[in-house]
Amino acid sequence: MSPKPKSRRRAQDPEIFFNRELSWLSFNSRVLEEVEDTATPLAERAKFVAIVTNNLDEFFMVRVASLKNAIAEGDTAPDSAGLSPLQQLAVVKETAALQLRRLHEISERDIRPGLEGIGLRILDFNELETPLRAGVVRFFKDEVLPVLTPLGIDASRPFPMLPSLSINLAVLFDPETDSGPDPGKPESGPRLGVVPVPAALPRLVRVPGADSTYVRLETVVLSQLGTLFPGQAVRDVAAFRVLRDAELDIDDEGGGDSFLSQVEDEVRGRRRSQVVRLDIDARVSEPLLSQLVSRFPGAEPLIYRITGPLDLRLFFQILGLPALDASRDPRQRAQSTLLPTESADLMAVLSGRDILLHHPYESFDTVIEFVKQAAADPQVLAIKQTLYRPAADSEVVKALVAAAEAGKQVTVVVELTARFDEASNIRWARRLEDAGAHVIYGIRGLKTHAKATLVVRREPQGIRRYVHLSTGNYNEKTSKIYTDIGLLSSDEVLGRDLSAFFNAITGFSDPPAMQRLTMAPMALRIRILSMIDRERRRAEEGQPGLIRGKMNALVDEDIIRALYEASKAGVKIRLNVRGICCLRPGLKGVSENIEVVSIVDRYLEHSRIYHFWNGGDQEHYIASADWMPRNLDRRIELMTRITSKDAVERLNGILDALFEDNQKTRVLDADGTYRRRRPSKGEDPFRVQTRLYDDSKSRADRLRAVPLSLEPIKRDAKA
Amino acid sequence: MAAPRKRTLTRKPKDGVQTAPLEPPKPFAALDLGASAVRLVIAEGLGENMRVVEEASRGVLIGKDTFTAGRVGQPTVEAVLHALEGFRSIMDTFGVVRYRAVATSALREATNRDTVLDRIRVRTGIDVEVIDGSEENRLTYLAVRESLKSLPQMSTETCLVAEVGGGSADLSTLHAGEPAHSGTYAIGSIRLRQSFAAFQGTPSHFRKLILRHIKNVVDDIRRELPLKDVTQFIALGADARLVGRVISGSEVTTPTSIPRESFLKTCEDIAALDVDTILTTHGVSQAEAETLAPALLVYSELVRATSAAIITVSNATLRHGLIFDLSRSEAGLGIEVFSRQVMASAHAVGEKYNYDAKHARHIASLALRLFDELKSEHGLDARDRLLLEVAALLHDIGLFVNLRAHHKHSQYLISVSEIFGMSRDDLLVVSNIARYHRRGLPQRSHIPYMSLDREAKIVVNKLGAILRLANALDADHQQKVRSVRVRPEDGVIAFEVEGVGDLTMERLALLARSDFFQDAFGRRVIFREVSRGES
Repeated sequence: MSPKPKSRRRAQDPEIFFNRELSWLSFNSRVLEEVEDTATPLAERAKFVAIVTNNLDEFFMVRVASLKNAIAEGDTAPDSAGLSPLQQLAVVKETAALQLRRLHEISERDIRPGLEGIGLRILDFNELETPLRAGVVRFFKDEVLPVLTPLGIDASRPFPMLPSLSINLAVLFDPETDSGPDPGKPESGPRLGVVPVPAALPRLVRVPGADSTYVRLETVVLSQLGTLFPGQAVRDVAAFRVLRDAELDIDDEGGGDSFLSQVEDEVRGRRRSQVVRLDIDARVSEPLLSQLVSRFPGAEPLIYRITGPLDLRLFFQILGLPALDASRDPRQRAQSTLLPTESADLMAVLSGRDILLHHPYESFDTVIEFVKQAAADPQVLAIKQTLYRPAADSEVVKALVAAAEAGKQVTVVVELTARFDEASNIRWARRLEDAGAHVIYGIRGLKTHAKATLVVRREPQGIRRYVHLSTGNYNEKTSKIYTDIGLLSSDEVLGRDLSAFFNAITGFSDPPAMQRLTMAPMALRIRILSMIDRERRRAEEGQPGLIRGKMNALVDEDIIRALYEASKAGVKIRLNVRGICCLRPGLKGVSENIEVVSIVDRYLEHSRIYHFWNGGDQEHYIASADWMPRNLDRRIELMTRITSKDAVERLNGILDALFEDNQKTRVLDADGTYRRRRPSKGEDPFRVQTRLYDDSKSRADRLRAVPLSLEPIKRDAKA
Repeated sequence: MAAPRKRTLTRKPKDGVQTAPLEPPKPFAALDLGASAVRLVIAEGLGENMRVVEEASRGVLIGKDTFTAGRVGQPTVEAVLHALEGFRSIMDTFGVVRYRAVATSALREATNRDTVLDRIRVRTGIDVEVIDGSEENRLTYLAVRESLKSLPQMSTETCLVAEVGGGSADLSTLHAGEPAHSGTYAIGSIRLRQSFAAFQGTPSHFRKLILRHIKNVVDDIRRELPLKDVTQFIALGADARLVGRVISGSEVTTPTSIPRESFLKTCEDIAALDVDTILTTHGVSQAEAETLAPALLVYSELVRATSAAIITVSNATLRHGLIFDLSRSEAGLGIEVFSRQVMASAHAVGEKYNYDAKHARHIASLALRLFDELKSEHGLDARDRLLLEVAALLHDIGLFVNLRAHHKHSQYLISVSEIFGMSRDDLLVVSNIARYHRRGLPQRSHIPYMSLDREAKIVVNKLGAILRLANALDADHQQKVRSVRVRPEDGVIAFEVEGVGDLTMERLALLARSDFFQDAFGRRVIFREVSRGES
């Protein structure tokens, strides 16, 4: 089961494919629109600023880094959209510059003033009122100075390995006063120094004596340069930040699938230190900038001059403050999907029906409760689960530990590459192992991305299996901000399939044939292609055809081509693709039956739902996989067919609503632009995330109302 | 088969009524170490209520080693151990304690099999039992019967059940749904592949060579099995299922009927492909691809030797038979449940040697009568009763060879026969029982007897003694004795015999041949003739 790095050099077809990097940037731009939208509450805008910053950082560290590597290796082959790596880099550089400008502009023009408007000030040290400065200086002397390590830079010493994403000050000394170890000689120009701003300290320093006033740490350090370099005149100084080749597939939705996989390890090792992007204070002088840049090893980084504060992830630090409470989206409490009496015995409920969960509208607590009850249930023999980035201090992990300690067979498939070096990750994996759980670190070369739990229980009628399958991780935190669909069921076929899945990924059995589950990388691609093809054939026979898909990204060429063929045959195809979409919709004779929309709203759209008409014998699926090569070829993924009537109806309703939105939806045009969809004349505004929340709330209200009136016949209702 | 027994378990307990906690059914497991894979099935529920809970398999080419080098190599042993450790973990998932693990030809024929079995036991705690061809056939028959329940022609026509495994082809014929002849032949796909592995010629030459070899073996088979009479062909095994899948377009999960010509053509088409093409077009593993062509050539040659117009590809497997068998034995049912099938097969052997069916049946029924009457004396069980019945039925087949010393010929012929449901060990016991139906009693110089373990010797003694008396009661082959009752009295056992005509000969014979009985049961025999209704 080792992945084969495929060099997918296809015939380029710029007419019918969008470049994936540009498509991603275009998604980022849609998120930026949410920041720029003055209708968005201030706290949410600040949060989006931080998120967009973070997304762009990751994009550079992974995608741009791999483009640069491809160029360095002399790779000139164009992608399917017809762009060579060099051409891609050029467009990416420019588009990103534009977005960074928009981002920092809106931050300086709207966000910071807006925050000041509600009394929350984020300042440069220089902007601070003089009486308040003494307290900050004291803080500098007590807390910052001891951990500062200024570095002198000269030709004889290598440029220091500044950590990726760190903020630093570049200092140019005046040669007249330079008393350093190797004073700059006139011919080599003035000497350069670097002061790394300690990353261990909070970026925003609370100003003593002034509530809700913060100064940025790097400006504090800058103001105290005299203390750091006594007797030396500083000619010029500027804050900067470097982004390096992360070389890792950053395990979120934007990264991965890079040329890196084809690069030899050795070469990769050499490139590790490469600086991909340099952000620097726009006020920097040319001599300082050119001195600095000349010191970076390897190819010149992309340089962005930033007006205003660097690294706007700084807003993350203040998002939780009570001062912002009035400026948030109205709180939406996740709803329970159970009768109040049912939560006591989930297994009993599940023996009667399936439960479809839609997070974050519906509570993730049901899932935690499911694992907890299984752990505490003496009849439960075994629990098997995949864990990919659980929350710190995860309830799920605690329950699994308890189950293992109670002597149950607990098997946990942990994703090794999900930043496993984090101390907390190691800690909980150890705790599981100590408790006697069987911890498996995934399959070499294949990231375990499927999200599944299997509970094996001995019942009077025999073995019964309970399953939870989801589009999202077992992470309490993200379950509050990502939209995901989960299914709880005790269906026998599903239980058997999932059992077989775990046997396969734990290496206990060869991959089996399954009925309701489809597994990547073995079968998923073939399955999806054959279902698309089935619609095409039916359409060619004159039957109506329909494919609906909701996913985070659509990149896979084979699938896109199959969709074009289906469209040509007359199949109606509606796609809800939040992020990257390489499919070009609405092209005459190619994709005129394909519609692509994207929703960007307060919750990150993350669920994957697939629907095939199949001549009226409709099939509905949820999946952990997008239609991207990395999901289909290099990850362990699961697609689950939803079969119970209620769950299918519910899922179908959710899909309907997702295509009905006219507030946060953008429609992709054949030329690659996304147009905001507005309500047409006479149409009511429809914001899907609000609607789905309201729906789940009224359903929960109905459930809560049930026990009083229906108590006497509850048993029959359950049976 | 019995009606479902556990209906009541599914009813929900009434509100407020305290019902005794129900003991959940205990799952059990069947493991099968075959030539190309190690497999696991876990099920629960007894008899008709059995439900398969879990299945797993790991491809391990045990056969490749055995059929090339005669022994299982170290890396393969490790792979087997690894697979079984995984299976052990799966068994733990379901709390499985009871299991039966069997190995077929690939281990059976390995010179280092005892070492391998011991390593398996030490590392995984799993005791693997090496079974012989006839036990394999019996188990497979169970699965076939289960899978073909819906096909009525099974019960009227002559069927050939054929499975080409890695090591051998297992064949059995069914008459009216009951097994008749069976045999195991060394034309397994891996074995064929390995036997000709050194061959350096072109692929088509290679195929011709294998084909010639297969044809020779099929000619031999024709002499033992009435292939020409076969009108229904049932093909088992993964290779046959692949043919079914290619023709029907979907996975063979229920018996799939295919016209003879279409089956033959598909077999030939696939067998003509090279391994790489098979790999890419049929989505099989490298190991399967390598042995597919030889297997399909065997199937097609077998089909050609029969008169079957339809080939039914069945999804029945040894391990499913094994799990049915376990489910039955968990329910307290043994091989005796299949006495009808066993006896049908024994009759077929008798016919092969022109036995006197009337006499044989009569002796069998007398012997069983004595067995039942003497129950409190011998303390044997239903399984032993079946051994006696088979021995009684076949005790005279040695006459086929020669009148002189025919009991010895009977012993030999039985010991080398294939009888449905009878293992080699069973047949050793049966053949010894038959041998002692006349003439000398067991002695140290009787090697087949001495090779039995103590318990088996006791069984032979008791059942041989009973058969000897039963045979005495039809001394002149006239079937005059109608009924016999046994009355234990002080120090003696009285045989109260009711018959027609003069029973003098029977009386003399009984008394003359009661020597063995007196040794085995410690009682003297007296003969008492009674008239109808007297007893």
